Amino acid sequence: MAITSVKNLKEFSTTNDRFEGAHTLCPGCAHSMIVRELMNCTDDNLVVSANTGCLEVSTAVYPFTSWDTSWIHIGFENAATSVSAAQVMHKVRKKKGTLKDNDAPVKFVAFGGDGSTFDIGFQWLSGAFERQHDFTYICLDNENYANTGGQRSSATPIGATTSTSVAGTHSYGKKEKKKDIVAIMAAHGAPYVAQLAPNKWKLMAKGFQTALETEGPCFINTVSPCCTEWKFEPKDTMGITDLATDSLMFPLYEIHNGHELNILYRPKNIISAEEYLGAQGRYKHLFKPEYRHVIDKIQKDIDDNWAMLQRREEARI
Amino acid sequence: MAVEFEVNEREVWDGNYAASQALRQADVDVVVAYPITPSTPIVENYGSYVGNGYIDGEFIMVESEHAAMSGCIGASAAGGRVATATSSQGFALMVEVLYQASGMRLPIVLNVVNRALAAPLNVRGDHADMYLGRDSGWIQMGAFNAQEAYDLALCAFRIAENHSVRLPVMVHQDGFITSHTAQNVYPLSNEAAAKFVGVIDPVDDMLDFSRPVTYGAQTEEDWHFEHKAKQHKAIMDSKPVIDAIFAEFKEISGREYKRVETYDMEDADVCIIGLGTTVETARVAAKELRKEKGIKAGVLAIRCFRPFPYEEVREALEGVKSIAVTDRSSPGGAMGAFYNEVAGAMATSKARPMVTNYIYGLGGRDLSIENVKTILTEQQANVDAGYITTDLQQFTNLRGPHLGFFKTARS
Amino acid sequence: MQDLKLRASENRGKSQLEAGFDLLGWDEVTQGSVLPSFEGDASGIANLKAEERNYSGYNSYTATVASWRVVKPVFNIDVCIDCQNCWVWCPDSSILSRDKQMLGIDYDHCKGCEICVEVCPTNPKSLLMFKENEDLETALSGWPEKTKKEKN
Repeated sequence: MAITSVKNLKEFSTTNDRFEGAHTLCPGCAHSMIVRELMNCTDDNLVVSANTGCLEVSTAVYPFTSWDTSWIHIGFENAATSVSAAQVMHKVRKKKGTLKDNDAPVKFVAFGGDGSTFDIGFQWLSGAFERQHDFTYICLDNENYANTGGQRSSATPIGATTSTSVAGTHSYGKKEKKKDIVAIMAAHGAPYVAQLAPNKWKLMAKGFQTALETEGPCFINTVSPCCTEWKFEPKDTMGITDLATDSLMFPLYEIHNGHELNILYRPKNIISAEEYLGAQGRYKHLFKPEYRHVIDKIQKDIDDNWAMLQRREEARI
Repeated sequence: MAVEFEVNEREVWDGNYAASQALRQADVDVVVAYPITPSTPIVENYGSYVGNGYIDGEFIMVESEHAAMSGCIGASAAGGRVATATSSQGFALMVEVLYQASGMRLPIVLNVVNRALAAPLNVRGDHADMYLGRDSGWIQMGAFNAQEAYDLALCAFRIAENHSVRLPVMVHQDGFITSHTAQNVYPLSNEAAAKFVGVIDPVDDMLDFSRPVTYGAQTEEDWHFEHKAKQHKAIMDSKPVIDAIFAEFKEISGREYKRVETYDMEDADVCIIGLGTTVETARVAAKELRKEKGIKAGVLAIRCFRPFPYEEVREALEGVKSIAVTDRSSPGGAMGAFYNEVAGAMATSKARPMVTNYIYGLGGRDLSIENVKTILTEQQANVDAGYITTDLQQFTNLRGPHLGFFKTARS
Repeated sequence: MQDLKLRASENRGKSQLEAGFDLLGWDEVTQGSVLPSFEGDASGIANLKAEERNYSGYNSYTATVASWRVVKPVFNIDVCIDCQNCWVWCPDSSILSRDKQMLGIDYDHCKGCEICVEVCPTNPKSLLMFKENEDLETALSGWPEKTKKEKN
């Protein structure tokens, strides 16, 4: 595959964009950083699909498209299916010699938000992974249904207030833990699964390149802070991402072949969950005395998960 | 290269096998499917052709019908020839994506083996699934037997992939009665079929990277209406293309298809209008009734349910005095949908004949020759009386007290 | 340096991504609402810079979202170290970099989110926010001096 150099930012900045501006994502949205980085980390032809969600409704608003490559959106749930079937069609047409350029390398990529990945599109995603199609699925995880006004998804963490898990006098917000999508996708036996974040741009680019180069279905969960629904200033997107990775709320790691786990980033100074939560309006209510125990629980969950990841890495399981 | 699959001049095939042979001969690139009774053998057979090297395409067995049609869309947008099959609940699960396929103008061929919709669960043939697709923007054609299931499947690729049409096509056959009944079928030779269907010439090909395209853009109030109107115009304008392809097919096969088929209609006073296997039953009944009672009975069959042949129906029914339209789907609080189409066509006729509605055959309930004779005899009674003597909507071969709705007599 | 001639299309910036603007007629509405991104042969597009490409009128590259902005970043090339932080983290592909050098801001696509200012590591910053109607020369003339590092 024709990968582009991600040795340093200066070299990476010489790549040409294939995801264009004047899309209608919110100012400060991390989705576009992640998408653009994926598109710029290879020179290969790309077929990209997207589930319904913020990315889709903001980048293909007729009569405009922000995509400089083949792109398809069908519904909320089926980006994994549409792109994997296109990949099979590519295989057949290559065999039959009916492609315009039969030798050009092509990569197949699907994007989904956490709602379409964790919830409504999960069956389609799981099916495509079970069938071992050669494609990469990237989840833009902003932990809620931002496109429809910030409802809870199964990616929403415990304690967050959303428009359908409302914090108030009788509730601290969402009661249930976030679904561990990375573990679930690794359990499909996928050759490469990772959790990455845009603040660690080089790790993310390398992860994307690994996924694109690896034959078979690869899954990457990317942290995509949402200023609109997490309630922070657009300018703080990268700062919040730093807090997310450095508090280990979003540990960055990869799993090869379902069992070889490598931690990709170990913060020099691990910050507290409290600091991460305190920077966002969606957790503001947790700082009332009566909900203090929720912060403690979140911290404990983070600590337990980090310990588990380290044990898995050490044991190579 | 694929291994040659030998076909005889005459084969004994059921409707499912006939449809699957059409997929093989059309050299379909990708079939994305999920099994459901009674359509399963169509895709199973395609899978066995792949497994035995009779075809160079690929079979993707997905995890649901929704995914099956989603995959068909992805594969079709990637520029190759695509087909699948389904029935009933599977069709219902596909509905969301059926609209996407037609809205994106993708030439997918879907073989629908008609079956009732639950609840209560039922695997037998009625037209509930076919009706569910009637506003989906697909061309819908009906086969009345196995031979037609084969012939129309071949024609479907030509119609769908025609650049002035570019719409997906459903080929319907009745569950079990057609799909599982072995009949004589006269297939085209592999060469003749391949020549007739030809090679797909893709439009907006996602795998043509010299021209990247975006499929599935959002169109709000400034754009959506024009797009949907254009799509509707395309399906309405497909009629002459369908006619031309049927004419071409007749030349190589000797078998003639029309969007509206007529039997004994030249001098008919009364007629029954039906879809699917009902047509063959009705033809026998009409002939017998002519002999037994001297009733000038005819049969009109709709080959092409979408685009609906309004002009041809009106023309064919000119001179008919009382018309029974049969709907094999529970109408859910209205006249049958098929009745409404025919009544709409006849509202502009000069003679304004009487049009009545019969609901029949739900969940595979048989429609006997005697049932059809009763329906036609009631039409003759209408003719004799000069008004509709029954409820406008009645139920045929249903147990219990007489069930009818919408009395036409006005005080 | 702010007004660069790197724009590929002459009609750049004329289209507003707003409802009802510049509606196509009936004949121009595309089949299946499929949108081609480029005019002519676009093979090997990944190897072409924006100014070398023939964008179609359907490509959002040719459109503008400048009206979203109430404040704008101003770029001071004299302070910039070409680290490309702003390039990689700009959510709107609005940092114009060529040959490893930061050249300026694409004001047709910038929404004024201020991320570029936040991630700029220089002292003083090479990017600062100003009111949308602030004159560039005035903005640059009042650029702050290097500040002493705050003690932790």
